[in-house]
Amino acid sequence: MALRTRIAVTFILLLAAVLAAALGAVSATNHSNAEREVQRQLNVGTSVFSRLLESNRRQLTQAAQAVAADYGFREAVSTRDTDTLVSVLENSGKRIGAAMVVLTTLDGEVIAASGLHVTDGAPFSLSPEQKGSLAGDGSTSLMVDNGRIYQLVTVPVRSPLPVAWIAMGFELDDKAAHELADITGLAVTLAVNSGGHWTDVVSTVPAGAARQSDVVARRIEMSKWGNAEVVAILSISLADARAPFERLTKVLFLIAAVSLIASAAAAFWLARNITRPLQDLTQAVDQMRAGTYDVALSVQRGDELGVLAEGLQLMQTAVHSRDQSIRRLAYEDSLTGLMNRTAFGAALSQALAGPRGAPIAVAVINLDRFRRINEHLGYSVGDAVLTKMAARLAAVPSVEGAVARLAADQFAAFARLRDAAGLQAWGTSLVMALAEPVFVEAQPIDITATLGLTLAADAAATADELMRCADLALEHARREKRALAIYEEALKPAARDQLSLLGELRHAVEHDELRLYFQPKIELKTGRVAGAEVLLRWQHPTRGLLGPADFIPFAEQTGFIRRLTRWTLDHAIAQGAEWQRAGKPLGLAVNISVEDVGDVRLDSRVAGMLTRHQLPPPLLTLELTESGFIEDPTRAVRVLDAVAALGVSLSIDDFGTGYSSLSHLARMPVHEVKIDRSFVQGLESDPEFASVVRSAIDMGHGLGLKVVAEGIETEESAARLRDFGCDVAQGYLYAKPMPLAAFETWLEGRERVPVIAVPVDFPAEDLTDTVSLGVY
Amino acid sequence: MTKLHRHPRPAAALLAVLCASAAFAGTVTVNATTRAGTAAEDTVIVFDPLDAAPPASRNEAIIDQVNKKFVPRVSVVRTGTTITFPNSDRIRHQVYSFSRTKTFDLKLYAGSPKTPVIFDQPGLVVLGCNIHDSMVAFVGVVDSPYFAKTTDSGAVSLNLPPGRYRLRAWNPNAVAAIPAREVTVAAAPLSIPVSLDLDPASAAPAAWPE
Repeated sequence: MALRTRIAVTFILLLAAVLAAALGAVSATNHSNAEREVQRQLNVGTSVFSRLLESNRRQLTQAAQAVAADYGFREAVSTRDTDTLVSVLENSGKRIGAAMVVLTTLDGEVIAASGLHVTDGAPFSLSPEQKGSLAGDGSTSLMVDNGRIYQLVTVPVRSPLPVAWIAMGFELDDKAAHELADITGLAVTLAVNSGGHWTDVVSTVPAGAARQSDVVARRIEMSKWGNAEVVAILSISLADARAPFERLTKVLFLIAAVSLIASAAAAFWLARNITRPLQDLTQAVDQMRAGTYDVALSVQRGDELGVLAEGLQLMQTAVHSRDQSIRRLAYEDSLTGLMNRTAFGAALSQALAGPRGAPIAVAVINLDRFRRINEHLGYSVGDAVLTKMAARLAAVPSVEGAVARLAADQFAAFARLRDAAGLQAWGTSLVMALAEPVFVEAQPIDITATLGLTLAADAAATADELMRCADLALEHARREKRALAIYEEALKPAARDQLSLLGELRHAVEHDELRLYFQPKIELKTGRVAGAEVLLRWQHPTRGLLGPADFIPFAEQTGFIRRLTRWTLDHAIAQGAEWQRAGKPLGLAVNISVEDVGDVRLDSRVAGMLTRHQLPPPLLTLELTESGFIEDPTRAVRVLDAVAALGVSLSIDDFGTGYSSLSHLARMPVHEVKIDRSFVQGLESDPEFASVVRSAIDMGHGLGLKVVAEGIETEESAARLRDFGCDVAQGYLYAKPMPLAAFETWLEGRERVPVIAVPVDFPAEDLTDTVSLGVY
Repeated sequence: MTKLHRHPRPAAALLAVLCASAAFAGTVTVNATTRAGTAAEDTVIVFDPLDAAPPASRNEAIIDQVNKKFVPRVSVVRTGTTITFPNSDRIRHQVYSFSRTKTFDLKLYAGSPKTPVIFDQPGLVVLGCNIHDSMVAFVGVVDSPYFAKTTDSGAVSLNLPPGRYRLRAWNPNAVAAIPAREVTVAAAPLSIPVSLDLDPASAAPAAWPE
């Protein structure tokens, strides 16, 4: 639900609930008030009615007494003259407004009567109740005569003792009833019971109205004597009593309805007043999110919404400036102001997506020996050089293109050429632009650049591919020591092969595609076979026999080399053990890599293999390059110490090429060094090398190590090495690396250097026997 | 009550007359009591001689009006007696009677009325004052010279010549008529008890025994 609706609905519901509660309370109160009022009115009216009747009786009694006490009346009564009496009675009745006057004996028998109808036909006499007591002042009662109700007042006539009764009847007619009704405020109905049937004789309301359901009535027995069973019904209409309250309720309902409508309108207006600016702000925020930062926030208000709008405006500005600086950082090289790699890639992609036809050329440019400028002249000069170079590159005209700084001393550029033939010319113009000497603080700095070029000939070429191609061309140019090289297919490595190589290597290990090759080592002094170096070959199912250069570097990069080393060690040791069992022991040298030296469990692995195949440790030599222990000498020493402790020999490969310090070498548990083949090759062409080789050999001997030379191809080299005191030689002069069968054939009939058994501490008990085999 | 002494009591006057004329007469004492045994004052006692006609005589009586009351309230007189109604009050009274025995009306007056009223027929006369309803007096008119009214002790004594008499008794408060009876008087004193049923609140007196 929208905020506006929610606010409005909440307000309205709340108000409606309050109004409903108030109206309900008022209505209920009104209802009960009306009921109470009716009851109260009825109580009061009833009380007043009774008092009125009593007062009326007293008045009538007094009036009757006055008549009875009149001397003339008494005189007339004493005459007992009927005609006179009747006329006297009529006269007296008229005097006090009595409709009926009856004179009776003390026993109640009628002497004379006026206005009495009952006597027609039946004798009439006053009942004891009607007479009352002689001693008293008379009595009052109700009497029904001829369908009319009379208030009958009976008083004695004294002359001076009571001699007769005079009864005077005052009719309770409509007039009287209306008077009573006026005073009591109630509807008055007088009903008479005649033979079990009630008849309303007089009533101030229409017939039957006093007995309706919405009328509250009180029944008062006025007389139960004889034929005059009379009741008064005092009634009040509930509807009449409720009328004022209902009017009030109606007015309240009207007020409630009006206020509800007014509040609803106000709530909607207020809600809209709040939500419309909010909608505007939301719209503005949406635009900002889409990247538009010049949205006008037009909420001009002094309230919180105005403050919010102002805040958003400020935020927009801040976000915009931050966005710009982030973009700069993300896509711009801060030093030169050129694009960075990311921006360049994007620009190139965009250009590639553009119209086809004119090809796009990409160049990767490397400043030669730039590190030296930084090192020798300082970074500020380096930065100055970079800035000037960047400016020069940017100044090279191109139809559509860009220049970027990819890394410290590496730039890139692309341009749309007219045709493919223009590539060389564009590349040359770039080289020429950079070739001029750079002056920094009036000091000329000679700097050259190497370029790798490529052309987006293929329609599907991506920016990434082009960059990689240009990189490969650059590498090629560097290798070829040329200023510029253009990419060609031949430069592309077998990327696919690389990717699948790991899986194939795994397959090779698991399916015995690897082969051990053996190259003999010859003792120079005697020409006897001193041992053999074990080399690895891969009998690839499709590519044929592959040399170590084809897969070892890759295995080293991926860490798979450990697996290969284990495989080689295991098989070499097995082979060595076989020869040992055959009584023809031969020392074997296995290459291990830097990775293997990092393996702290190397010794236990080697020990396990020796134990399993039962090969005396001295028959195994592990060869490793100097780099193997340079990276982490401490760990290397620990690992190699452990291996050496097994009784296995260690040999340093490529001795003399690396940076191995003598101190390291001295600390290592090394038994021999192998002089790099470049020394041996140099030995033949350069006489100066002879002294270097000699020094190396002497150094090895000085450290108490056996010295081995490899790559011997001529007898002359062999002779000179022999002269220099080199112990063992290895090379094509003697034999190429051979598969097992060829090697065994080659070995036949050759004299071997006897293997001297060296007692060693084997970690495993059961090997003691093997070690004690003694002489080889 | 001071004026009471100026007028001789009728009973005393009668006794004086009787004693003077018949020295041989016997004394009869009537004791009127109520059922409850209390004295029945103001009971009228009449002896009607059955054997000989009573001697004629002219008599006079007075019924005063004192403090809005007739004094005495009950009187017994011989037929033909002239009764004077002096007014001792300072207010006026109108004495009247609607009784058939004697109907008269003395218009409002103060002091002594102009004319006395002669009660010439036997029977009961009820007197009233037209302007004071509470004033009521009873006058019994009898032919016999032998009558009396009981005192506050309820008793009264008469000297009667020997012979037979009809004894009548009446009291204004009696609830019912007292039956008459025959009494023989000799020289010896005679005591006659009369029992009555009285109701002081009774508004209408029992019928006058004729």
